[in-house]
Amino acid sequence: MRSRRPATAGARVLVVEDDDETRTVLVRELTTRGYLVEETATGRAALERWEAHRPDVVLLDLGLPDLDGLQVIRRIRRDALTPIVILSGRFAEQEKVAALDAGADDYVTKPFGVDELNARLRVALRHAAGPEAVGEGELRAGPLVLDVPRHQVRVDGVHVDLTPREFEILRVMLMNQGRLMTKGRLLRAVWGEAYQAEHSYVYVHVSQLRRKLAAADPEGRLRGLIVTEPGVGYRVAEDMETETLDKP
Amino acid sequence: MRQWPRLSGRVPWRGLAVALLTLPGATLIIALLENNVGLPNASAAYLVAVVAVALVSGPIGAAVAAVLAALLYDFLFTEPYFTLTISDPDDWLNVILLLFVGVVVGQLAARQRLRAEQAIVREREARALFQISRSLATRSSTAPVLADIAQVLAANTHLDRVWLTLTADGRDRSVADTGSGLPPDARFHSVLRRTPGDAPAEWLRVHDTTRAQTGSESPPREARGAMYKVRIEVGDRSLGSIWGWRERRDDDPDRTERRLLAAAADQIGQALTQDALATQAQAAEVARQSDALKSSLLQAVSHDLRTPLATIRTAAGTLRPESGLASEERKESAEAIEREVEYLDRLVTNLLDLGRIEAGALRPELDAFDLEDLVDRSVARLRSRLEGRLLALDLEGSPVLVDPVFVDEAIGNLLDNSIRYAPPAATIRLTSQDLPEDGYVRLTIEDSGPGVAEADLDRIFEKFYRGAAGGSTRVGTGVGLAVVRGLVEATGGRVTARRSDLGGLAVDLDLPRARLPTELADPT
Repeated sequence: MRSRRPATAGARVLVVEDDDETRTVLVRELTTRGYLVEETATGRAALERWEAHRPDVVLLDLGLPDLDGLQVIRRIRRDALTPIVILSGRFAEQEKVAALDAGADDYVTKPFGVDELNARLRVALRHAAGPEAVGEGELRAGPLVLDVPRHQVRVDGVHVDLTPREFEILRVMLMNQGRLMTKGRLLRAVWGEAYQAEHSYVYVHVSQLRRKLAAADPEGRLRGLIVTEPGVGYRVAEDMETETLDKP
Repeated sequence: MRQWPRLSGRVPWRGLAVALLTLPGATLIIALLENNVGLPNASAAYLVAVVAVALVSGPIGAAVAAVLAALLYDFLFTEPYFTLTISDPDDWLNVILLLFVGVVVGQLAARQRLRAEQAIVREREARALFQISRSLATRSSTAPVLADIAQVLAANTHLDRVWLTLTADGRDRSVADTGSGLPPDARFHSVLRRTPGDAPAEWLRVHDTTRAQTGSESPPREARGAMYKVRIEVGDRSLGSIWGWRERRDDDPDRTERRLLAAAADQIGQALTQDALATQAQAAEVARQSDALKSSLLQAVSHDLRTPLATIRTAAGTLRPESGLASEERKESAEAIEREVEYLDRLVTNLLDLGRIEAGALRPELDAFDLEDLVDRSVARLRSRLEGRLLALDLEGSPVLVDPVFVDEAIGNLLDNSIRYAPPAATIRLTSQDLPEDGYVRLTIEDSGPGVAEADLDRIFEKFYRGAAGGSTRVGTGVGLAVVRGLVEATGGRVTARRSDLGGLAVDLDLPRARLPTELADPT
């Protein structure tokens, strides 16, 4: 289905994890899958490696012995948009959300399966590769077409009436397929940096959007398009066929 | 409750009013009887007036009325008329007899009246004390009944406002008040001085304005009325005070009222002491139960952790290259390890959750969610374990305002439970709808498994309760449902269990409905 080349081949991953066993397993697994892996056990060493080698993606455990994971994220974000995927323990919901708000791209909760981790890394790398789609043409997801210049959404060619905010939410989400969008990030992207709105606004708009899409799609092909990540935000299903076309 | 007249019975104006009505009335009757009917002497009619006055205004009023009656008779009905001189010796006798009988009858009537009043007051005192004893005896703890006691005291004394303060950490805290706002600022302050033994308690006027500290800086207010304080003491320890305030300070609460206040203070003091002892006993009981908890936890853990660990160890061994297993068998081993790890993960999560629930350390992060989203995730995680069991979903209803992680864990535990107990080919059903009568959405998770005996339905949410259902060797530690209850209650919901019409167990999770902003500032 996907025509994209795998973005993972030869990508350089920096694994920051203080538990030796976990790190060893991770390194072995990622190496097998074709990544070039560097590993460190502390936050300081991680920042040194990052300065020296600028890896393509950082896999960061939040519970480090020396530095707070958030500090590492902020330090990296000061200089670069290198994707960061965090490894978070259970009972660390707030920590996880704080890390995502600080700029981390995604997370996996321990204990995790290697397939899940791999999927997250792949998405993170793909979005980091090249400039983000500017959203000038059409965005597609299955039967859904979002026509950016005309501000129109069609499902199977039938027009769906969306409010400007709903349209904007859908546009931002389609441009970030597979990626985790925290409610805070969506708020900033759709309402603007200065807007201090309730997170429940996001919920209300997203559920309204879902309802409209469901009404336009009785077969339910779009049902899994916007997936709720409870307590964190939303994710647009990655395996739904989406592509960006330039305006003819 | 109605305010009763005070025991002294001094109501002079009322006596005067009765005298002004009855004496002229009696005069009129005597005039009719003596002049028109022709009775020689009708002076006894005045006795009726004297008795009437005696009943309302006591012995002194009765005596005055008797003298007045004698003078009136002398003035109006003895010759020469309209003078106080009496010519006829018979009239002398009449007037003196009237005076004498009037005074005696008046005194007797007044005394009778006083006795009746005393009896009423005693009965009231006894009843008030009984009320206080009863509320204290039937209490579960003292604090909630203090408001009732303050009411009883206010109703049975002439205090306009009664409030109670309890001393905690060196500060007085108002715990019950029949009035509202800050306590009044009184010009007169008295403390009930109580002496050991039978000596009656007396009011001791104090000059400093020791007041109940309900607010820190109160604005200066006009000082009025009188304030009374009765200390609640047990041994040498002061536990608090009963305070009373009377707007008009005509006289201090009398002997009966003092007795009532003192008795109330004693009873409250004893009740508070009992409370303290009960709390100590409870703490000891909690400590004991906590030990019991730890030992059952250790038992549960030693069994339920070791079994999967043994499986993992064996399975991991078969993965070694030298074991010579076929790849199909290796795959099975790897799956067994994953399954057991999943089980261990849930077990450890539950034990940690239980710890946090017991410690009251759960802090829900509430947000609005469609139940479908929450259920979908939990279902997706457990789908691989269904093994032929039918899963039916029918979710409708409003969004809920919950902590998604708590609800996710709760649903996960309930599904896990259903899968564990219900045989393959059983049905597991998840339904939801709004409860219209209150602000909840009910999510029901039920199965066609063996279920739980009716009598045990209430107990399944207790820690370490294990279903009696046989068959499976591993029935869980009995923490799953306790965790469900703890998590759901922490996020503002309710959990109940019942028999499902599918035949097995049905658990209803009532989750608070989300109230969403209606105005969305979204220009269209």
